[in-house]
Amino acid sequence: MSSRVGNWLDERTGWKGNWTAVFLRKIPKVNWAYTLGSATLFAMVIQIVTGILLTIYYVPEPTQAYASVTYITNELSFGWLIRGLHHWGASAMVALVILHMLRVIFYGAYKYPREVTWITGVVLLLLTFAFGFTGYLLPWDQRAYWATVVGTEIGAVPPIIGGFIKDLMLGGPEISGITLSRFFGAHVWVLPIVLLALVGIHLYLVIRNGISAPPKRGE
Amino acid sequence: MSDDPGTPPPADEPVDTAGEQATDPSRRTFLIRSIAAIGGGITAAVGIPAAVFVTGSARAATTGEDWIRLGSASSVEPGAAPVLMKAVVSRRTGYLVEEQEVSVFVTTTDGVEFSVLSNICTHLGCRVRWVEDQSGFFCPCHNAVFGPDGGVLTGPPPRPLDKFEVMVEEGQLYFKEL
Repeated sequence: MSSRVGNWLDERTGWKGNWTAVFLRKIPKVNWAYTLGSATLFAMVIQIVTGILLTIYYVPEPTQAYASVTYITNELSFGWLIRGLHHWGASAMVALVILHMLRVIFYGAYKYPREVTWITGVVLLLLTFAFGFTGYLLPWDQRAYWATVVGTEIGAVPPIIGGFIKDLMLGGPEISGITLSRFFGAHVWVLPIVLLALVGIHLYLVIRNGISAPPKRGE
Repeated sequence: MSDDPGTPPPADEPVDTAGEQATDPSRRTFLIRSIAAIGGGITAAVGIPAAVFVTGSARAATTGEDWIRLGSASSVEPGAAPVLMKAVVSRRTGYLVEEQEVSVFVTTTDGVEFSVLSNICTHLGCRVRWVEDQSGFFCPCHNAVFGPDGGVLTGPPPRPLDKFEVMVEEGQLYFKEL
């Protein structure tokens, strides 16, 4: 039954060839460090799912942001779980993406012909940090406020344009409802779209070029 | 004894030469099933709480209000047209407490027994208004008309206007939401 449906679809879509190319492709003899990329991808999926769920109740507005987060955490059934997964998943994703990058550095996997995979990976690392930074303000508590003060002051460091960079991040001279709104917009619209596009390129290249074997002694 | 040809080994018994080919599919099947089981477990572990989470604020009971005061009972004259009376109730939805205005139609035949009708059309929730010419409640959305007692005269509504419990205490009218 299911194979008949599969064949029917395959005749019209050719999915089996793609399935084989993606999931049944040949890989060299590797070790557990090679699972870090998939682990990062898994963390990303968790962040997307729990993030979408949080937007159902979270309100990015100064008088309601903190109250809605408190409501999610303390009153809604399983709100503590969804928010907890998003909170700890964020840290896990940052840790995993760094470990993944270290593996690529130590094994020399960034070399020809995989430079573009590496470049997109570095941008993805920076995007992950941007997610962490913009998401940190959203609970709208003291920690969020002061972390954003520090983060945007770092943006003000460059000479000449620094002040404008800071104002651009804050949407004005100081942290306000506009800041909260633009951080939310960046966190749930801008960054995810860029992230997903780059993850698509990154994964396409991983499959197209294949993964590199662990280097042998003397290589 | 010696002429017993001996039974050939059962077909499913592994044969040395085929060993390498025979173990590989079973290992593959095992791994595929493991991935499916773990993946299904994770999906359920997130999916079930997610369903409870999403429905959370909808399942929380927001009714159970006490009697809502409408105003003086003497403002409704016996036999006259239904009077639209308003009351402000505070409703709690999640962390939000909002003031909401509710309107009801009050009628009385003798000034003792009062009747409180909802002004919400039972068809699709539009607000009805009293039309003196037709001596009925008219709903502008789909031209429904309810009689003075709330019964459906014409139009699509499936049931009469909701009738609320009513109480008169010290000349003040109170009603209770359903």
